[in-house]
Amino acid sequence: MNLELALRLTEIMMGFAFVQQSLEHLRAYDERIIFLPRLLLATLLIVGFQTNWVSFILLGVGLVILNRFQGPYNGGADRMGLLMLACLCGAHIAPTTQWQEIALGYLAIQLILSYFISGWVKIINPQWRNGQALVDVFHFSSYPVSESLRDWAKSPRLLLIMSWLVIIFELAFPFSMWSTTSLIIALMIAACFHFANACLFGLNRFFWIWLAAYPSIIWFQQRLFDTI
Amino acid sequence: MLHSLKLFLPALIPSWNFFDVIVPSPRIQYALLNAESDPLLEWQVFRPRPQYISFLTMLKRMFWNPYWNESLFLVSCAERLIEYPTQHSEDEISKRLISELNSDSFTSITKDKTHVRFRLVFIRREGDKLIEEVTYQSPTQRLREEGFK
Repeated sequence: MNLELALRLTEIMMGFAFVQQSLEHLRAYDERIIFLPRLLLATLLIVGFQTNWVSFILLGVGLVILNRFQGPYNGGADRMGLLMLACLCGAHIAPTTQWQEIALGYLAIQLILSYFISGWVKIINPQWRNGQALVDVFHFSSYPVSESLRDWAKSPRLLLIMSWLVIIFELAFPFSMWSTTSLIIALMIAACFHFANACLFGLNRFFWIWLAAYPSIIWFQQRLFDTI
Repeated sequence: MLHSLKLFLPALIPSWNFFDVIVPSPRIQYALLNAESDPLLEWQVFRPRPQYISFLTMLKRMFWNPYWNESLFLVSCAERLIEYPTQHSEDEISKRLISELNSDSFTSITKDKTHVRFRLVFIRREGDKLIEEVTYQSPTQRLREEGFK
């Protein structure tokens, strides 16, 4: 995948993620004022109209949204969207191809870190290592989407296995950069992980926005491989 | 501008420490009052979870999940209200609570009520037990604008 294609795919997939997010805000009148323009801008991004200007305006809208909600509305999903926009804007104003690569490479590195650091903070926590943390998530956290899911807390052995699978996958993710094939397999597993989080914890926005960063890492892996 | 940048920096240089520790989890409860100084408070859970959600509903929510995402935002507001209290967090919870209580599905329980309060109950584990602690109680607020019937 070349740089141009990776940038364009990132724009399109991020555009769709923004459309999905923006539609969810159109119910509330005071939010519609911000999210209707965002919806239109995201559509322009998808169709490829003036994507450099549109990216900058979307970044500005993103800052307005941060101010409106005094922080991210949807935690990490909003932050990933802003990071992606910042990297795309960086790529658009980059004076040379090398600087464009640095901008998109930064997004790819952050994607790798998003998995690796998440794994690291878990493995250093004894509560995660003995499975109690995931039991707590199901038992009393705000995330399970139904009461019946709380019953999963009664299966500590299953949750211990799930905890270690998540930790091992997250920590091993950087090693998938070894080849395009291993990376594609890792991204498919990661997508399944995000899908499960969306189903169990209602984190649908994370699924779409994380997937939107995948073209950058596929490009980055191939760029590194070419260099080596 | 400086405030916006302060909010933007964690996006530009993220920490990615998702679920590093399982912190006490907030629940929003509300009480409907017959008058501003009504001493009787019967607390109800705001937006209780459904008992069961089908896989098909989960699939639909991949594309359309505004109600749940708003609930997650309210959880963030509840956590912010305790960590670094601001009027904004209280207003966001109040606004959404009052709006929902004035919707058609609540008419039967709100028709004789004039005011509302909410409180935050944080749940945490201590040993094998779950401990519930009330950490915040809002001022009494009108359920409807003056003159609204």
